[in-house]
Amino acid sequence: MNVKRYLRLLGIQLKASGLLSLQYRADFFTEGLTSLFWTFTALAPLFVVYGERPNIEGWSFGEALLVVGWFTLLQGILEGAINPSLTGVVEHIRKGTLDFVLLKPADAQFLVSTQRFQPWRAFNVLTGIGLFVYAFMHLGRWPSVTGLLASVLLLGTSTLLLYSLWILTVSAAFFVVRVDNLTYLFTSIFDFARWPSSVFQGVGRGVLTMVFTYVIPLALMTTFPAQAMLGRLPPQSLVGAVVGAGLFAWGSRQVWLRSIRRYTSASS
Amino acid sequence: MISVRGLRKHYKVHKRPPGLKAALRSLIHRSYTTVKAVDGISFDIRPGERVGFLGPNGAGKTTTLKVLSGLLYPSDGEVTVDGHVPQKREEAFLKKIMLVMGQKQQLLWDLPPAETFELNRAIYDVPQAQYKKTMSDLIELLEIGDLIGKPTRQLSLGERMKCELAAALIHQPRVLFLDEPTIGLDVAMQATMRTFIKEYNEKYGATLILTSHYMDDVAALCPRVIVIDKGLLSYDGGLDALVQRVRPEKRVVLRLSEEVDAGRLSPLGRVVTHEPGTAVLQVQQEAVNATITRALSTLPVMDLTVENAPLEEVMSELFAESKARRTAVSEPVSA
Repeated sequence: MNVKRYLRLLGIQLKASGLLSLQYRADFFTEGLTSLFWTFTALAPLFVVYGERPNIEGWSFGEALLVVGWFTLLQGILEGAINPSLTGVVEHIRKGTLDFVLLKPADAQFLVSTQRFQPWRAFNVLTGIGLFVYAFMHLGRWPSVTGLLASVLLLGTSTLLLYSLWILTVSAAFFVVRVDNLTYLFTSIFDFARWPSSVFQGVGRGVLTMVFTYVIPLALMTTFPAQAMLGRLPPQSLVGAVVGAGLFAWGSRQVWLRSIRRYTSASS
Repeated sequence: MISVRGLRKHYKVHKRPPGLKAALRSLIHRSYTTVKAVDGISFDIRPGERVGFLGPNGAGKTTTLKVLSGLLYPSDGEVTVDGHVPQKREEAFLKKIMLVMGQKQQLLWDLPPAETFELNRAIYDVPQAQYKKTMSDLIELLEIGDLIGKPTRQLSLGERMKCELAAALIHQPRVLFLDEPTIGLDVAMQATMRTFIKEYNEKYGATLILTSHYMDDVAALCPRVIVIDKGLLSYDGGLDALVQRVRPEKRVVLRLSEEVDAGRLSPLGRVVTHEPGTAVLQVQQEAVNATITRALSTLPVMDLTVENAPLEEVMSELFAESKARRTAVSEPVSA
C-alpha cells in the first residue's frame, strides 16, 4: 500500500467533507448545544449515584468523571470520523453504488472509511477534554507524564477498536437487508462504556465485565485510558490493549474482505 | 481486447410460494432455485470496436458487463480484458476500464462535480498536466463549463449525466462499459450523448460496449451487435444483417395528395398504417420495385420513401421469436 498516495487521498476526502460542513455553518452551533446537553444528561446519573456513597467498586466521583470524559471524547470521534462514512456504506449497498467504489483502483475499505467526516462533532472531543480538567481539579491532583502518554496511546487503540467494531457492524449489511437496527444496537451497547467496567462486576458474576473486556471491548475503550491517566493501569494491560486492538482490527478487516467477496459473487 | 469463453453466471436464490404459511415454513426450511443469468456465452471484441448488447430485461446484459468489469465472479468460463482477468481486480486493470450506469451515479450529491473529478484524479493517479488537458477537452465536448461548479443535486438529469460521463473519463479508460447511459434523457440530450461517446471512441481508440433500450443509441453507435436472451447468445454480427434476417420486408411510406380507399392500397402489399394523407405498406424486398411502379401509376403519390422496419419492432419480434422457440421445446429448433 502506497502510504503517500493514501495520505493524499485522505487529504482530498477531508477537504470535500470540510467544504460540505462549511455549507451548513449553523450545524456548528446546534452540534455545540446538543453536545453540551448530552454531556449533562450523561453526568446526571453520576451525580445521583455518587450522592449516596463516596465510591463504587473502587471508583470515586472524580475518577468516574474521567471515564465519562473518555466516553464523550470517543463519542466525538465515533460520530465525527467513523459513523458518517460507515453509515454511507449501508446507503451504497442499498442503492447499488458500492459498485463504483469497487471499480476504483484503491482499497475499498479505505475509500468507504474516509468518504465523510463531520468536523463539527469535534465539539464532543473538546467537551471530553473539559471533563478531564474538571475531574482532575475535583481530585485535587494532576496526572503523571507517563500516565498521559499511556492514555494518548490508548486513545489510538480505542479509536481503532471503535472503528473495527463499526466495520463489523457494517459488514453485516452485506448479509441482512436492514442494518439500521444493528447500528442502533451498537450505539446502545456503546452507552455502557460511560461507566467504569468494574461497575458491572456484580451482574451475573462478572460475566458482563468479561463480555465488555473480551467480546465487545468497551472496557478497553474508556476504562483503560482513565486508569492510565490515574496511573493505575498495569503495564501488561497496556500491552494487552495494544495487541488486542491490533488483532481486533485485523479480524474485522478479514470479515470485511469476506463480505466484499460475497457481494461480488452474489449480487446481480 | 476482450475475450469471453463459455461464460456462465448462476445465482442461487431463495424461493418460496406466496402465503403466510409458506413464509413461516421458509424460516425453517429454505428451498433454493438456480437462476441462470448468463448460461455459456462466448465472443471476442477487438480494440477500438463499438459493440451493442441487446436483449430484453433480465436477459443477462448487465450481468455480463459486471463480470467484464470485475464486479462479479463468473460461475464458469474464461474472461480476459486486455490481458487481465477482471475478477482479480488488479489496479492496472481497474485503471484501464470504466463502467457508466445510467441509473446509478457516482457524483457526490451535495458537492459540485468538480470535487468528484478532483477525487477521481487522485484515485487514478492522473498527472496534473494530463488532468488539465483531459478536463478542458471534456468540458468543451460536453459543454459543462458552467455546470461543474454547481452542487450536483441542483443539476438536471441530463446535466448530471454529462458530468457523470466526464467523471468516468478522467483517467481515459481504454475500455468503456456503458449500461443504459441515455436512460431518462430527452431526445436532444440522447443525441448529444451519442455524438460525444462516438467522438471519445474515435479520439482515444477506446473499446466500447453499450447496452440500451433505445434502439437509436445502438443504431447510431454500434456497427456490431450481440443479442443476449435468457443468458444465451442468440446473434453476433452487423446490425443491418440482423434486421435483414429478422424482418426481410421493406416499408414503403407513401404521402398522398388526396384520400384513397383501403381497397386501393391492399393489392400493393400489407397495409401497416393508413391515415388520410399517408399510408405505410410492408412488402417483400424483391417486390419493392414493382410496388413502387404500381403505386406511382395507380395512386396520387406526392412523395415516397423506402425504409427498414423500426428497430424496436425488429427487436420485439426477435425476442418473441426466441421465446416461442423456448416454449416449444419438443419441436425441432429452426434458426
